[in-house]
Amino acid sequence: MTQQQLQHLYWRAGFGMHPKSNTTISKHRASVVEALFESSKAFTPLNIDLSYLDGIKPVDLKNFPELAREINQKGAKKILEFNIAWVKRLINPTELLRERMTLFWANHFVCRERNPLYTEQYNNTLRYFALGDFRDFVKAISKEAAMLRYLNGKQNKKARPNENFARELMELFTLGEGRYSEKDIKECARAFTGYNHDFKGSFVYNENHHDHNSKLFFNHIGNYEGDNIIDIILENKQCAAYISDKIYRYFVNPKPNPKHINAMTDVFFKDYNIENLMRFVFLSDWFYDDANIGSKIKSPIDYLVGMAVTVPATFEKERDLIKIQKLLGQTLLDPPNVAGWKGDKAWIDANTIMVRLKLPSVILNNAVIASGEHDEFKKKFMTKHKGKLPFKTTPNWTTFFENFEAVSTEELQDYMLQGTVNKGTADYLQTLSKVSKREYCVQLMSLPEYQMC
Amino acid sequence: MDRRKFLKNSALASSLFFVPNFVKAFESVAKEQLGYKRLVIVQLAGGNDGLNTIIPHNNDLYYNARPKLAITKGIIKLTDDLGFHPALSPLRALFDNGELSIINNVGYPNPVRSHFRSMDIWQTASGSEEYLQSGWLGRYLDQYGKQPYNAIEIDEQLSLAMKGEQFNGIATNDFRVLHNSAKDPYFKNVLSHYNDTHLSEHNLGYLYQTMIEAKSSANYIFENTDLKTSQETYPQNAFAKQLRNVAQFINSDLDTKVFYTSLGGFDTHANQNNKQTKLLSQYAESVTAFVSDLKRNGTFEDTLILTFSEFGRRVKQNAANGTDHGAANNVFVIGKDLKKGGFYNNLASLSDLDPNGDIKYNIDFRSVYATILSKWMDVSADGIIHSKQEQLNFI
Repeated sequence: MTQQQLQHLYWRAGFGMHPKSNTTISKHRASVVEALFESSKAFTPLNIDLSYLDGIKPVDLKNFPELAREINQKGAKKILEFNIAWVKRLINPTELLRERMTLFWANHFVCRERNPLYTEQYNNTLRYFALGDFRDFVKAISKEAAMLRYLNGKQNKKARPNENFARELMELFTLGEGRYSEKDIKECARAFTGYNHDFKGSFVYNENHHDHNSKLFFNHIGNYEGDNIIDIILENKQCAAYISDKIYRYFVNPKPNPKHINAMTDVFFKDYNIENLMRFVFLSDWFYDDANIGSKIKSPIDYLVGMAVTVPATFEKERDLIKIQKLLGQTLLDPPNVAGWKGDKAWIDANTIMVRLKLPSVILNNAVIASGEHDEFKKKFMTKHKGKLPFKTTPNWTTFFENFEAVSTEELQDYMLQGTVNKGTADYLQTLSKVSKREYCVQLMSLPEYQMC
Repeated sequence: MDRRKFLKNSALASSLFFVPNFVKAFESVAKEQLGYKRLVIVQLAGGNDGLNTIIPHNNDLYYNARPKLAITKGIIKLTDDLGFHPALSPLRALFDNGELSIINNVGYPNPVRSHFRSMDIWQTASGSEEYLQSGWLGRYLDQYGKQPYNAIEIDEQLSLAMKGEQFNGIATNDFRVLHNSAKDPYFKNVLSHYNDTHLSEHNLGYLYQTMIEAKSSANYIFENTDLKTSQETYPQNAFAKQLRNVAQFINSDLDTKVFYTSLGGFDTHANQNNKQTKLLSQYAESVTAFVSDLKRNGTFEDTLILTFSEFGRRVKQNAANGTDHGAANNVFVIGKDLKKGGFYNNLASLSDLDPNGDIKYNIDFRSVYATILSKWMDVSADGIIHSKQEQLNFI
């Protein structure tokens, strides 16, 4: 494997890499890929301190509205805390590929929940099944408290069916738009009636609210419950094709290649095993095609975490991590709607591009991209901000120098940029003095090319 | 000119945008093609309680449903049935002049009571069971926009409403800071070396193109905004500051068709009265200052101001002297020469509520949008508002 190919794999299966890891990583494709799976075998749930909920019962919240309000306010803070814990986990993952997959699934089984207990549980369900059996995964999602709330599953009762979950289950989670009839949605909703959860977030099946009559779903007739419906949906190869397409566009190239997606579909349809599908992708020759390297626009999280992998930085106020996500247009746990973030070009508009180009220098170098020629500019910038930067950070350059020790300043760009560099920009980079490795690192991060992975 | 050709031209212009006169000449041509009517959106975030804003002061059902919350004192009676919340008194003159039209009972079928989702519906002009990923103003820009600064949001981030399928407006809290970041000499050097052959169809080409547009927009706004302080006195609050900024842009004759502003905090589940009074007076005082600023500069007649909130609130008050999320609500339209100033329609019946106890809608918010698009912006709503909507007669 070439260095670019290795970086490509690590950008897609993780959040980039630094040259120091080269010493521990083999250059043989099969063993590099296997090691990724091996190191993600374990499952480490992400937990924050929710002890403030200990001993609280639903009846307390009903009887004491003041307490309920306090719990709500605390909950909102805990969601932010969970967001920060998640970002930190992505920067220092215990199981790299599992975390990358969890992030992917969070934008597939999109859910927005304001109760931190249900949020945590949901997030760990995504993590647990991230490389597992897709069938079990969908079934587990359909029983999650957060999902039952988000798509009104708990309001779906025999007397008054609610079709919200049934529709999204097929349109967004398994088959794709237009692959079912309105009748299928109605019958599907009936099968999921009676689903609910308790105060702690465990699944509860309420027989009394379930519609026990028979349902006609995709030409099958039976007295179906939710799990049966999911089994029937998965019998349709379109489900394997829909997921393969989405995985291809996320992990390989935003421009779909039908031939490769068909090959993936065949692999996935066999057993709906996510790990097998991902192994197939990472071992395929086409995954490493030049056309795929650097073809993706980094999501704000890719960008932020990737920057921290290159130069770790501590924020004086951790809340600033959330502010940055907002500015860049992707706040974890706060997706725009059930369809999730659109991704790719939609990440970039006139505002976000300027923030992205300016942010590395603000976080890592007092807002200075290139010193010397424009002290005048720096002075003006600092005056505008009354001498203060929008974020107070402490970058850890020592770690950067250690990790990039084996690489000369001239070579830095090959390790920090993926894919093609614009000809004119490459010429310009040639003219830069490169006396400081640190400064050159910030300059490379301040390029449009750095937005690609 | 189609969009692709235009991008080519603007790339050409961008290498020259350090020569402001050329850019000015170039852009004034574009402006005439766009027309000059402007739309200002004011979003009241959190769900404003419309019933305590426009008060049915002669209706027992109102007082019975809100024993502790109904407004009893200082109502500004406008008709036998309806009146302003006392905090809206600054708007009285606009109302009397026929420069304010209040449309009651605006909403949509199967209303959603989640802030988040309902705001999405309003911003994307979707139905309640439909998920659109672009905003209605963004889709307007897709068809008629040329540069990001054709639509400006006074905020750090761009709302979904302003995001199109291919085209986005620009958001800025402070156009001077935006300009300062954009003019970093490093970016200037990168762009002066940039070579766009082979890249235009590629994602990386898109990034460079957006960077050029951003830089050019930041530059355009900075160069063309008249910095002389407005002669109008605005109240001291963040919302007034947004409107003051918008007035500055309008009075400087920027080539901007749409402005987006917002005032938040209307989610009054508890102790509503003080909070809402404070917010409504911020709203009314700021808007009044804004309108008089525009009038002083002769720009009011080409400006239309639309105020909305994602939903109204429950008719019945709750135990905490607040109100819970409701459905249909009123919408304010402010402008000169409105066809129908005052109340556009009557308040819907308070005895015929929906199963949740909320006001039923009888005007779809998308028909308000469609009317503004065709009668004010002078464009067809086709491709912008996806469902067929009737035209209203307020403008």
